[in-house]
Amino acid sequence: MGVMNTPLRRDRQDLLRAGLGHALNLGLPLLFVVIPILSFVVVSFWTLQDGQILLIPTLANYRAFFTEGSYLSVYLQTVGLSLQVTLVNVALSTAIALFIFRRTPRMRFLILMSFMLPLFMSYIIKVYSIRSILGQRGLLNEAMLGLGLIDQPIEALLFSRTAIFIALAVLYLPYAILPIYLALDRIPANYLAACADLGATPLQALRDVVLPLARPGIAAGAVFTFILTFGDFVTPQMVGGTQGFTFGRIVFSQFGLALNWPLGSALAVILLATTLLAVALAGLSLRREHVR
Amino acid sequence: MQPLLHLDNVSKRYGAVRVLDGIDITVADNEFLTILGPSGSGKTTILRIIGGFEGIDGGRLMFEGRDLSAVPINRRPFNTVFQDYALFHHMTVAENVGYGLKVRGRPKAEIAERVAEVLDTVGLGTLGGRYPALMSGGQRQRVALARAIICEPRLILLDEPLSALDVELRAQMQRFLKSLQRRLGIAFVFITHDQEEAIALSDRIIVVNRGRIEQEGAPEELYRRPRTPFTASFLGDNNLIPGRLAAVDGRLCTVDTAAGRLDATVDGPAPAPGSAVLLAVRPEHVRLDADPAARDGLPADVADVRFLGANVMIELLTPALPGAVIKVRRLADGAVAGLRPGASVRLGWAADDAALLQAAP
Amino acid sequence: MKQKAPCLDALLGLVAGLGLIALYAPLLATGALSFFQIVRVRGTLGFAPFSLDPYVALLANGEILAALSTSLVVATVSSLLALVLALMFAFYFVSARRGLGIAMQIMVFLPFLLPPIITGLSLLIAFREIDLGRGLVTIIIAHVVFIVPVVYRTVLVRLQLLGSSLTEASLDLGASRVQTLRYVILPQLRPALISGVLLAFAISFDETLITLFVAGSQTTLPIRLWAMMRVGFVPEINALATLIFLCTAAITFAIGLMQRAGERV
Repeated sequence: MGVMNTPLRRDRQDLLRAGLGHALNLGLPLLFVVIPILSFVVVSFWTLQDGQILLIPTLANYRAFFTEGSYLSVYLQTVGLSLQVTLVNVALSTAIALFIFRRTPRMRFLILMSFMLPLFMSYIIKVYSIRSILGQRGLLNEAMLGLGLIDQPIEALLFSRTAIFIALAVLYLPYAILPIYLALDRIPANYLAACADLGATPLQALRDVVLPLARPGIAAGAVFTFILTFGDFVTPQMVGGTQGFTFGRIVFSQFGLALNWPLGSALAVILLATTLLAVALAGLSLRREHVR
Repeated sequence: MQPLLHLDNVSKRYGAVRVLDGIDITVADNEFLTILGPSGSGKTTILRIIGGFEGIDGGRLMFEGRDLSAVPINRRPFNTVFQDYALFHHMTVAENVGYGLKVRGRPKAEIAERVAEVLDTVGLGTLGGRYPALMSGGQRQRVALARAIICEPRLILLDEPLSALDVELRAQMQRFLKSLQRRLGIAFVFITHDQEEAIALSDRIIVVNRGRIEQEGAPEELYRRPRTPFTASFLGDNNLIPGRLAAVDGRLCTVDTAAGRLDATVDGPAPAPGSAVLLAVRPEHVRLDADPAARDGLPADVADVRFLGANVMIELLTPALPGAVIKVRRLADGAVAGLRPGASVRLGWAADDAALLQAAP
Repeated sequence: MKQKAPCLDALLGLVAGLGLIALYAPLLATGALSFFQIVRVRGTLGFAPFSLDPYVALLANGEILAALSTSLVVATVSSLLALVLALMFAFYFVSARRGLGIAMQIMVFLPFLLPPIITGLSLLIAFREIDLGRGLVTIIIAHVVFIVPVVYRTVLVRLQLLGSSLTEASLDLGASRVQTLRYVILPQLRPALISGVLLAFAISFDETLITLFVAGSQTTLPIRLWAMMRVGFVPEINALATLIFLCTAAITFAIGLMQRAGERV
C-alpha cells in the first residue's frame, strides 16, 4: 500500500492543479469579458419605465432604433462616414506602406517608427490640437489667409462633417499603415527578384505579386479603421459640434445625460453587430487566399 | 568564337569586404557550366551579378559583345531558378509558369498553349491547376524550371536548386537537369557547393574560393589534375604531401620530402626547381601491400579501417611522414578483409598518379 | 534588391510626406504653442515671445497633477497585473488542449478587437450588476481587460518561437519544471515581457473611451483634460502634452530597439 500511496496522491494533486489552471484561465476571461458582453445584450431587452429599469423583456428598444427619432438616419450617416474614412485611409496607408517597403532595410524601421510615433501622443490632446488647427480662427485658416489663398476664413472647417472626417482620418491613419506594412514585410524577398527575372516591370510586379500578397494586411487595416472610427464618440463630439451627431455619441449619451440604459444597450448591440459584420466581410474577401 | 557571356575582370565589394576579385568567366552557347565553391566563396554573388540582382564595382559584363552592366534585370535575356524556387504561392502552377509571357503582354491563348508545352517538357503535364504549396519538392523544382525556360532565355541561372531535395530525388533531378539542358540547347550556369553534383552534371567546372577562380576545366581534368591545393582537396579526397621540387624532366618531377625522394608528374608549366610543392595522391591510387615480406614502398601502420558500404577507407600512419594520415580507399572485398588497426603494411603509388601542385604561399 | 521606379517612388514619397505632415501637425502645433503662445492684437494673429510660463504653471496646477498621478498609478498597477495574467494565459495556451487554449485566446482578445465603446459599456453594466461602485478599482479592472491582449500577444509570439526543444533540453539535463522556467524560459521571454509591459503602460496611460464609462468621480489624466477642454483651454495642457509626448517617444524607441534585439537573438 505504501508504494501505491504516493503516486495516487500525486495524481490527485496534479488533477487539482490542472483544474485550478482551467478555472483561472477560462474563468477569468469568462467573468471579465464574456459575461459583461452578455449582460449588456440582456439589458437591451429590458424595459425602462419612469427612469427605472424593469426586468420585463421587450423588443421596444430595437423598435425604437428603426422608428423613433433620427437613430436610423444617424446610424446610416455614421456608417457612410466611417466607410469614407476607411477607404481614404486604406488607400493612403497602402501608398505609405509601399513607400516604406521600398526603402533599404535599415531605413524601413526608422520610417515606420516615425509613422507610428503619433499613436503615442495623447489621444485627447491630438483631438484638441486638430480642433484648434481647423477652427475658424485656427492655424489652418490663419495660414491660408496669411498666404492669400483665401479672403475669408472657411467656417465649414470646424464643427462639420468635414471636420470629423479629417480628424478621424488623421487620428487613425497609423492603425492602417501598420498591418499593411507588416503584410508587405512578409513577402519573401526573392519573389520580387523572381518577378524582375521573369521580365516584369516594377508596376507589373506591384499589380501581380505585391498587392495580392498585401491583401490580408489591407483587409486588417480596413477593419481596424472601420471599427475604431465607427465606435469613436469623443472625436465627433469635440470637432463636430452639433453637426457631429454620430451613432457612437448617441450610444454614449444613453449612458450619460439621457440615462436610458436599455435603449443604449440595444443601440450598442446594433453597433457591435455592425462591426462584426465588417469583420466577417473582410474575412470573406480573404477566403480565396491560399496557404503557402 | 565569341562567347555567349563574358565576365571580364569583375570585382565586387560589400563595404570593405572584397567578395569578388578580378573574376574572369566566359560561358559558351549550349554549355553546362558549374561554378563550384564552398559557402562564402563568392559563387552566389557571381550568379547574382549575371542575373542583374547585384551591380559590379569593377570590370565588365558582356553578352554577345554588348555591355550588360546597365541593363536592368527584367530586360536581361536570362532566367533564374532560385534556391528555394521563389514560386508565387498565390498563383497556380500554370500562372507561375506563364508569368514571364503574361508580363510581356502575350495573348492568353498563346500563353496557355506554351504553358502546356513547357509543363509537358518538365513532366508536369496535368498539374497546371495546382498551387505550389500542395506539391512535393521535386515537383516544385520542375515548376521553377518550367517558369525559367518558357521565355526561351539564352542562359539559365540555377542557384543551388537541388540543395533542398533528399538524396534519392537529387540523383533523379540531376539526370533530369542534364537531359533537359541537352534537349533545350540553352546554356546553364549552375551554382553548387557539392563537388559530386558538379562532376556529374557539368561540361565545365569553375572552382572558386575566396572571391577568386582557383581552376577551371572539364570535370575529369579537374579531378585528375588539380593544380592548386584547394582544388585538390575540395574535389574529392586527396593525400597531400609537402616537399621541395628537386628536378624536372619533361612531365616527370622529383620531389624531396620527409620520406625521401618521390616522383610525381606535372601538367603544364612546372614550378621552378627548389620551390615548395605538394604531392597530391587520390586515396584510390595508393598501393597497399600487406605481405610482411614486401620490401617496396614506405612502411606504415594501419590506424583505422572504416567500412563505407561498397568501399573501405583505411587510414595509415607512416613514420616516414610524421603527422600525416594517409588515406587509402579500396573496394570492400576479400583483399582488405583481414586488415585490422595495428597491422603493418607498405604503401606506394605510381608516379603518374601523383599530381604536383604549387604549395599555397 | 529593388528595381528602380522613379515615378512610382516619387508618387509614394509625396503621399508619405503629406501623411507625415498630417500626422505631425497636431503634435508640432501643441509643442510650438507650449513655448510660443498665440496672442491677438486687433484681430491679427501673432506669437508671444518664447516663454516657459506654461511649464511653470503646470507645476502649480493641482488638478492636472492629481489626475496625472492617478493615471500613473492606474497604468503601473494595471500593466503589472496584465503582465502576470498574460504570462499565465500564454503558458496555458501552449500547454492546454488546443480547443481550450483557443477558447481562452478568443475571450482574451475580444476587448481589444471590439470597439472600446462596447468594452466600456459592457463593463459599466457588469459593475452595476454586482454593485461595484465606480472608482479606481473599476478603472484598473477595465484597463487590465483592455491591455492584457497586448502583453499576451508579445509574450506568446516569443514563447512559441522558443519551441519545446529548450524546455526538453533543460528537463533532460535534470532541471525541474520550476528551474526550467526560472533559468531557461523567463530569461528568453524578458525582452518580450519588457516591451509588452511598456506598450501596455502607454496604452493604459492614454486610455480615454473605456475609462469614460467606468471612471465615476475618479479622473485619470485624459478624462481630466477632456473635461477641461470642454470649458476652455489652459496653456499648461500644451506643456504637459509636449512633456508626455517626449517621454513616450523615448519609450517607444526603446521598445522598438528591444523588439529588434529580441528578434535577432
